[in-house]
Amino acid sequence: MKISKSISALVLSLVLVLGSFGTAHAKRLTAAVADWTGGEITCQVAVSMLEEELGYKVKRVVFPSGTGLWEAIAAGEIDFACESWPSYAEADTVMMKGPLIYDGQTMFNYEGDGSVKLLGTSGIIGLSDYYIPRYAAESLGIKSWKDLNKHKDKFATIESGSKGRLIACPVAGWNCHDQKRLDLLGIDFQADELGTEAAAIAEAVAAYERKEPFLLYLWEPHWFFGAYDMVGVKLPAHKTCDSFTEANNWKDCGTAAWPATGWAKDYTFNYGNPDTFAKPEHAKAAEFFTKMKFDNADQAVMLVEVKQKNRDLKEVVKEWKDNNPDKWKSWIPK
Amino acid sequence: MSSEVTSIEEKSNNSKNIITYSAILITFLIALWLSFQSEGPSKMPKVVTDEFTFTAWVNDGEDYLKKNYRWFTKIIAGYIKNGYYFLEDFLIDSPWLLIAAIIFLPCLIAGGLRLGLYSLFVIYFWGGTGMWDESMQTLALMGLSVLLCVVFGVTLGVMCSQSDRFDNFMKPILDTMQVMPAFVYLFPALFFFGIGGAPAILATMIYAMPPIIRLTNTGIRQVPEQTIESATSFGSSKLQLLFKIKIPLSLPSIMMGINQVIMMALALVVLACFIGAEGIGGQVWLAIRNLDVGWAMEGGLCILFMAIMFDRFGLALSKPKTTLPSDVQKFYLLPQAWEKYSIARIIEKPLEFFSGLVNFVCINITKYIAYVFEFLISLFNKDTAKDIGELLSKRYYIIPSFIVFFLISFIDSSLFKIGSFPEDWKLSIRQPIADGVKSLTVNPGFIAFTKGLRGFIYLNLLRPLDTFLTHIPWWYTTGIFVAIGYFTVGLRFAFVTLLLLLFIGANGIWPQAMITLSSVLVSVILCFAIGVPLGIIASYNERFRNVQNVVLDAMQTLPYFCYLIPVLMFFGGGTVSAVLATVIYSIPPIIRLTSLGLTQVSGTYSEVSRSFGGTLLQTLNKIKFPLAVPSLVVGFNQTVIMAFAMQIVTPLIGGKGLGLEVFNGLARSDTGRGLAAGIGIVLLAIIIDRISLAWTKKQREALGL
Repeated sequence: MKISKSISALVLSLVLVLGSFGTAHAKRLTAAVADWTGGEITCQVAVSMLEEELGYKVKRVVFPSGTGLWEAIAAGEIDFACESWPSYAEADTVMMKGPLIYDGQTMFNYEGDGSVKLLGTSGIIGLSDYYIPRYAAESLGIKSWKDLNKHKDKFATIESGSKGRLIACPVAGWNCHDQKRLDLLGIDFQADELGTEAAAIAEAVAAYERKEPFLLYLWEPHWFFGAYDMVGVKLPAHKTCDSFTEANNWKDCGTAAWPATGWAKDYTFNYGNPDTFAKPEHAKAAEFFTKMKFDNADQAVMLVEVKQKNRDLKEVVKEWKDNNPDKWKSWIPK
Repeated sequence: MSSEVTSIEEKSNNSKNIITYSAILITFLIALWLSFQSEGPSKMPKVVTDEFTFTAWVNDGEDYLKKNYRWFTKIIAGYIKNGYYFLEDFLIDSPWLLIAAIIFLPCLIAGGLRLGLYSLFVIYFWGGTGMWDESMQTLALMGLSVLLCVVFGVTLGVMCSQSDRFDNFMKPILDTMQVMPAFVYLFPALFFFGIGGAPAILATMIYAMPPIIRLTNTGIRQVPEQTIESATSFGSSKLQLLFKIKIPLSLPSIMMGINQVIMMALALVVLACFIGAEGIGGQVWLAIRNLDVGWAMEGGLCILFMAIMFDRFGLALSKPKTTLPSDVQKFYLLPQAWEKYSIARIIEKPLEFFSGLVNFVCINITKYIAYVFEFLISLFNKDTAKDIGELLSKRYYIIPSFIVFFLISFIDSSLFKIGSFPEDWKLSIRQPIADGVKSLTVNPGFIAFTKGLRGFIYLNLLRPLDTFLTHIPWWYTTGIFVAIGYFTVGLRFAFVTLLLLLFIGANGIWPQAMITLSSVLVSVILCFAIGVPLGIIASYNERFRNVQNVVLDAMQTLPYFCYLIPVLMFFGGGTVSAVLATVIYSIPPIIRLTSLGLTQVSGTYSEVSRSFGGTLLQTLNKIKFPLAVPSLVVGFNQTVIMAFAMQIVTPLIGGKGLGLEVFNGLARSDTGRGLAAGIGIVLLAIIIDRISLAWTKKQREALGL
């Protein structure tokens, strides 16, 4: 009885499904949602252009950044991802091929196997460093990272014990190598990975409001700098270390080069699956990505709207798009 | 004479106890001394860890499989993906009223007015919180995985019931499937089946299939001998026996299995957001990333309400059914005991009238349709026409339901577009929750409390245990585990323990394993400290117990990473927060089993104790607790397993140890590393599980239970 009932229900619902399935399909792309707010905004800007101007239907997948994401893109599971920061990506030199061009200048030439396609720069230029609040820098007289050890007890927490504490790069997949850097530079601090950007920022905000000294890993553009007065600790200038790769079992170059140095200036880029963007039906999308050039100032304003005023990200992006057509009209292929 | 014997026995028992205790004390002291001796965390010598390249083997194997068999897994994934997109598109693109009707009407028919109204509330909640699309995605994922689980599960179950050899072959496989935390195979699934729906559905099948296989198997095996005997004597063949007698008779058991599959599938489908599956899980994760408690709470509630709805629906379906005339009963909304109040009667009267009307309409429409069909088909074949007419006229509710579905589709496609859930009907609990949490987090008293608690746990429990466990040489810890294994379970298990621990050590993740062990131990200690008193209160106060049961039910339905949010909000990130989240997740079994154990102690024992003048505390301490020990140990056992499972998600809020290794492995797409750490967690859990199970058994035997 029951079985026959459910079978009849099944058959009829299948009929229903078939009946309602006549709707035409939009062009589809799958995008990975970045795991920091700035990246989310850049991605939403790109997605809204694709959806509203080029007639796409974009599926947004929440997927952690890291090598896994690169492999997913190479395998065609995800079509594109936005705003990758070269100094955080370790797969870029292996999987991408071709020049990274910003403002007509070649910034870097990738010589990988080409399993991931460099779609073009996103326009955002990133800077990363370790920061301390200005009040702490002034009262303790900290001018650079070399002074940190003298005051490490002021930066200590219950968990870090006698060492100072760095509110470190929060996500494992970002490849910041914070602890390694601290150890190489001889900074007697402990790197605490808190899991998410939000958790790290919450920790920093709480410490700032208590006027405690704290050392924070952060990047620009970020809304935090608009709300709180921070100064960088001037890590040594960036220098690449070729042996510091997975294949070489992370053999470091001592204090001479990465990761004992700071980060390079990051000309961020969007990247995608080569096969997807080689298809003629996606030619316009590919062209759009080569033309897209978002910029730091706009992102910074939107970051404040989203994170400080607690507004919906999609709404903020839509507002920007409606108010600044002159900024993005040139990105859209004819 | 006999008293002398017992006294001697007692004495030997006592001296035995003294020896055991002093042995434990000495072992502990040596461990303490050793841990003070060592400089840094203990690790297996580099010679071993460098030679034992498990991670490289896994990665090579994966590469090989990827290169040679990926075409095959891709085809499977492709089929599943097509099915999933199909279902998802249907759910999202069709007019929301149609989906609402598809959910509401079966609930109404199977579970009566109360379940029907509840389902309407759930549907409204999905739409009102703006998670309509996500809920549909979760539904699609779940629907497809449940369908596949039921198809394969029932088939395998039937095969198990028919062949003892196959049954014996399946048993260890099913055991492994149930013990493995889903995370461990969630990620390898990613590499073979891609991201998103397909691997999520396959992983869900591994996770959720065991109960339905088992229940189908036992259901069929439990069909009474006499029934089979009489069927055979009437000359039915083996196949006839199976399909006409055995399967129909075991339907209740199979239905129960389906219910369990639904609940387990829901739990895993939400977790699958970690491998890029869409749905509410992704929303909750985004909310965690943004530290938005209100948002995460809305997502959590969407899942919780969905789970309750499916659970009740499943229960209603598996209940023995009565035919139409008495169905009218179902339209009672209020408890029938309230009938003496006139207000209740006033409310019920129109409902009764309404239900009568609905029934009248349904029956007549069905009859009419059945008549039409019978007439049409009778033009070709009289016999089948009669059968079909009879078949149709019995479906009083189903046929009208489908008419409703068609009507909605028709209106949508030709009259005016219904579209997606109306945006104006917003119900947002996000802001109030966020505001409430915020006002609490700036309250100085509360800050002092959370800081104090955090400091206390870290300084007095976590740090000492962490340093102690990581600093004891690995060979010493291994030795202790092997000894415990030998004394509680036996020689064979001691040997297995040795091998498993050596595996962990040889992978070079010994320190991480010890950190995981210490966070689990601290979490379990805290679970006991909080859970046992709550269990005691519940065992004495029925009202408290009822309230608590509802809360615990809800807690066990929520996906694990929902617990990260409140902890993150109140305590910030870090290892202590990881421990607290673990405590919240793994506390339900200990509370439940404490109260169960204490209430189960038969009344006579406590009566006797009281009549001898024992106070409440004495009774509890001397009589009830010792008798409840087996139940407590089962609680301990479950809590430990859940605490281990939680270790895999705590890195999201700053947890360390093997869980972080899994995350690191995943981020670098180093399957070997992730898998080794994941297996490490499973192995530790298995060792502790076996030891405590064996201990329970001994306790039970000692108590003569």
